[in-house]
Amino acid sequence: MRRILMFAAGLTVLTLSVSAEAAVVRYLSQHPLPRKMGGGFCYIDVPHVHDFGPSDPRMYRQVDGEYYFVGDPSPFNYEGPRHAFYGPHPIVEANVQFGHPEYCYLQGPHYHWYEPPAQASFELRGGAYWFTGTYDPGYYQERPRYMVVNDAYAPIVYERPVVDVRVAPPGFRGEIVAAGPGWRGRAVVGGPPPPVVQVGVGINVGGPAGPVFVEHDNGRHRGWERDERHERHERWERHERGGWRGGPPPPAHGGGWRGDGAPGRGDGWRGNPAPQQGGGWRGSPAPQQGGGWRAGGGKAGHGNAWKR
Amino acid sequence: MGRLQAYLVLVATSTLAQGACGKSKPPGGGPAAPAHVEGTPHTDAVLDAWKGAGLKPESFAPIVPPPYVAGYCERGAVAGVDATVCEYADDGALDRGQKQVKDEWDRTGVHTGVVVRTKRTLLSAVDREARDPNGKTINQLIQAFRKL
Repeated sequence: MRRILMFAAGLTVLTLSVSAEAAVVRYLSQHPLPRKMGGGFCYIDVPHVHDFGPSDPRMYRQVDGEYYFVGDPSPFNYEGPRHAFYGPHPIVEANVQFGHPEYCYLQGPHYHWYEPPAQASFELRGGAYWFTGTYDPGYYQERPRYMVVNDAYAPIVYERPVVDVRVAPPGFRGEIVAAGPGWRGRAVVGGPPPPVVQVGVGINVGGPAGPVFVEHDNGRHRGWERDERHERHERWERHERGGWRGGPPPPAHGGGWRGDGAPGRGDGWRGNPAPQQGGGWRGSPAPQQGGGWRAGGGKAGHGNAWKR
Repeated sequence: MGRLQAYLVLVATSTLAQGACGKSKPPGGGPAAPAHVEGTPHTDAVLDAWKGAGLKPESFAPIVPPPYVAGYCERGAVAGVDATVCEYADDGALDRGQKQVKDEWDRTGVHTGVVVRTKRTLLSAVDREARDPNGKTINQLIQAFRKL
C-alpha cells in the first residue's frame, strides 16, 4: 500500500513537472532577459514565446496574455536605438497596437527604443520628448496600479538621458522630477540653485539643491489629486524625506497647482511649502551632505549621488 | 492476375493524380515530393534572403508530407536556430497552420519560438537549446523574411 502511495505521489510530481516545463510565456516585443537566463536583452521585436517568465512583472503590461515591456531598456545591456522621453506618456511604438491607449508611467528622464510618430502630441525639447497631449481617463485610473514601475527601477543605478527641464513645454501636464533613486549622472539640467523659475502653470524649475518635483495640469483632473498624494508619497517619500516639493505658492489663475496646505507628517505636500533645513527638492539627498546642486551640477560619471 | 491488374490500375491512377496536383515523384522513389505553392514567396527565395543578410542556412530539405496543413514546407537550421518555412494556398490554411504551431509549443514547450507570416508563407523559428540567447539571429531571420 505504501509503495502504491509513493508511486502515485511520484507520478503526480512527474506530471506536474512535465506540465510546468511545457508552459510557454508570451511576449509581445523586445524585453530584458531574467538573470537566471544569463541576463541581457531579447531583441525579438515581434510576438514570441519563451519558457521563462519576466524577471520583474512591474516592468511589463499584459495585453491579451502577452507581456509587453514598458520600461527603459538601458540597464539591461540593451544595444539598440534609444530615444529620450521625460515623464509619463502614451506608448507609441509603431508596430504595437494595444487597441486602447497604454501609458508609460516612468517618472523623469528615461529611454525607450521607439520614437513618437510625427502626428503624436509630443514635443522634443531639452533633449527629450515630452507628451503635450491630453491624458486619457484610463491614464489616471491605471496610474495607481502601474506607478510601481518606478519602484522597480529605484534600486537600479544607470545613466538616464540628460534633459533640460528649464525648457519643458508648457503643454506638458506631467510632473517634473529632477532626480530619483538610481539616477546616475547629470540626468536633469535644471539650472543652478535658486532663483526659482516658473514655466507655465505650476512648473517649478530651478530651486534649491536637489531634485524638482512639480505637477501641473492646468486645473484638470482634480479628482485625481487625492489618490495621487497617497500613492506618490508611499512610493517616493521614503527616499527623500524631509524635502519640500515644488516651489513657491501657485499662481492664482487656473487652479492647477496641486499643493495645498501645510506639510505634515513627513509625507509632505505637493507644491509650495517654503524650503527649509536643507531639505532639497523631492528626489534628492539632503544638500548639506553632498553639497551643491546634484541634480544639475554633478559631473557625469561621478554622479552616484542617489545611489542607494 | 486480377490482383496485379488492380495494382497497376491503382499505380496509374495515383500517378495521374499526382501529375494533376502538380506534384512530382522524387527520383529515388518513396512518397511524392510536394511542389511549391504559387503566389507566395517560395522557400528558395527565403533562403536567398537570409544569405543576402549574411546568415548561413544549413541542411534545408522538404518535409514530406508537409506539416501544419501547408502545401509545401522545408526545414533546416540557421546558426543553431531551427527554421521551418511553409507555403500555403490560402489564408485559412495558413491561419490553421499557425495555430497548430502555437498549440504544439503550448503542449511540448519551447525555449524560444516565433512564428510570422509574409503573404502566404509562414516562418517558424525555434531555439531549443538557447543557441541564440538574445534572439538576434531570430530577429535577423524575421527582418529578412518580412521584406519578401
